Amino acid sequence: MAIGVKVMKRPGAEVSYLRATLKGMALTLSHLWRPKVTMQYPEEKSSKDWTLSPRWRGTHRMLTDEQGRAKCVACGLCPQICPANCIKLVPGEDEQGNRYPLIYEIDEFRCVFCGYCQEVCPEEAIHVGVHYENSEYSRDRFVYDLERLCAQTHPVSTLWDPSDPKGE
Amino acid sequence: MGVLELLLINHPLDCPICDQAGECELQDFTFQEGRPATRYSPDYAKRFNPVEDFGPDVLYVPNRCILCTRCVRFMEDVAKEPVLNVSERGDRAYIGIHSEGRLDHPWAGNVVDLCPVGSLLSKDFLHKARAWELDKAASICTGCSQGCNITLDTRENVVVRVRPRPNLEVNRYFVCDHGRMNYRWMNRGDRIEAPLVRRDGDLHATDWDEAFAFVASLVRGAGGKAVALVSPRASTEALFFARELFRGQEWSGAFQVVMGEEAPLAGVPNLALRAERAPNARGAELLGYSRDYAAALAAAETAAVVLVLDEPDIAVNTAGALIYVGTVLPERARDARAVLPIANVAEEEGTFVNRDGRAQRYFQAKSAPGMARPAWWVFSELVATLGEQAGGHVATAAEAFDRLAASVEAFHGLSYTRLGFAGAPVPTAPAVPA
Repeated sequence: MAIGVKVMKRPGAEVSYLRATLKGMALTLSHLWRPKVTMQYPEEKSSKDWTLSPRWRGTHRMLTDEQGRAKCVACGLCPQICPANCIKLVPGEDEQGNRYPLIYEIDEFRCVFCGYCQEVCPEEAIHVGVHYENSEYSRDRFVYDLERLCAQTHPVSTLWDPSDPKGE
Repeated sequence: MGVLELLLINHPLDCPICDQAGECELQDFTFQEGRPATRYSPDYAKRFNPVEDFGPDVLYVPNRCILCTRCVRFMEDVAKEPVLNVSERGDRAYIGIHSEGRLDHPWAGNVVDLCPVGSLLSKDFLHKARAWELDKAASICTGCSQGCNITLDTRENVVVRVRPRPNLEVNRYFVCDHGRMNYRWMNRGDRIEAPLVRRDGDLHATDWDEAFAFVASLVRGAGGKAVALVSPRASTEALFFARELFRGQEWSGAFQVVMGEEAPLAGVPNLALRAERAPNARGAELLGYSRDYAAALAAAETAAVVLVLDEPDIAVNTAGALIYVGTVLPERARDARAVLPIANVAEEEGTFVNRDGRAQRYFQAKSAPGMARPAWWVFSELVATLGEQAGGHVATAAEAFDRLAASVEAFHGLSYTRLGFAGAPVPTAPAVPA
């Protein structure tokens, strides 16, 4: 025997795993009688303890006027301020000589949901939404065009207001 | 602050849709000095007048007008064609146009630049880009031999607008409508993107080294007369190195100038849209190219080498080797032995010599497509390949110009850096270098 191993002698009560197991089981079982905190998503989407913040910044929505046209006047401020460069805008002119977006596309994959576009918009047209469920069968469906942005119905974010930092 | 408040009584709050936003003097002043909020009640209705069509390229938006009357005074005192006035009085006043007149003077586009607000708009530029998206590069107008200083506004590598750049010696603060509209060709998509050489009867794309070797062998093996048909829109440097290519060989060179109608700006001495629609005809002349294009075409028929520099409408028949150097490949040039792609005026640096003998620099505004390179680089590399380049390769336009100034008598004493943004007259009397 090359190396001498010293075997310690310990009392059986200390070495047995039985005590630790029972202790653990007791903790687990005690949870059965405690109040439930699990929310049954997706059947249940909010509870009195948990709702989405009104300042949540999710996928975009374009607001429309009474005639159902996008409020956007293609001023070009949102593509300018966008840090992720995810907004594509080509301005045009309609029959009445009004400026409007010929092409308005947001790549939601590129978007970092900073909400600057909503903040900068002088017409209160583009908004980030209070919305978090986005799934599609193909990646290119995440480039939202103007029609799709206008068709969104989820509530829009009320961004953080510096004069009312706690949202009161 | 008070004056601004009065100016803003009837000025609409439509900066987001106004083309002038970002380069608007009223906007700048209001941002610097103005009140943070208006004191007029929201119930107050601002003056409203519909948009008027003033001329071929000018729209008048009376709502935005602050009645500075710069446009009226320009048309009256500078263009000497008083078609505009201030109609009505007091807060009903607006800029009126003569009932039978149109704002179609060849220099009328300048009122758009003069307008401090977005009241006079260019139809061509309407809604095309926002001011802050534009990259600007100093350039020289290629529309005629006047050589007006301009700024090329580019957006995402596309030239979208031409604006005048002040130069008291040449164009003051103005540029004509012909020059203003003369930019679309700079954005052509059908460009040559790689050097092409003829092998087994077909043109094949290749790299620059092989193209240079191929063209050099054509020039060296010619053993006969060489003819250069050049464009008066090419830079002085390119014309110089094209000449150097045939040094020690019998050669002749010519260019052809498209003529148009002369349109002077009456209020400014020596400023007109010149009949000669070529920016560098004088430079080509100084370098020994002749105006006798017909004779050159006749000489080309029997020449051993014919070099064509960016003349898309060539009609040359030759028994010798045709070398086409250009931005686009016209049908007639498909018989060429070699085709070399070059950058156009917006994509390179260089100089033009205007009709008064003023050498002026232009700067790069956008990037060239594919393998296209400035013509002076192509020719100087060819000269180097032929082994006749004293002083080695030319890397920059400044080096190209300085080499030209050193070896061509008419340009002695000029330096690229000293030309700067304003340019300098070419010393007509050949100076003796110290």
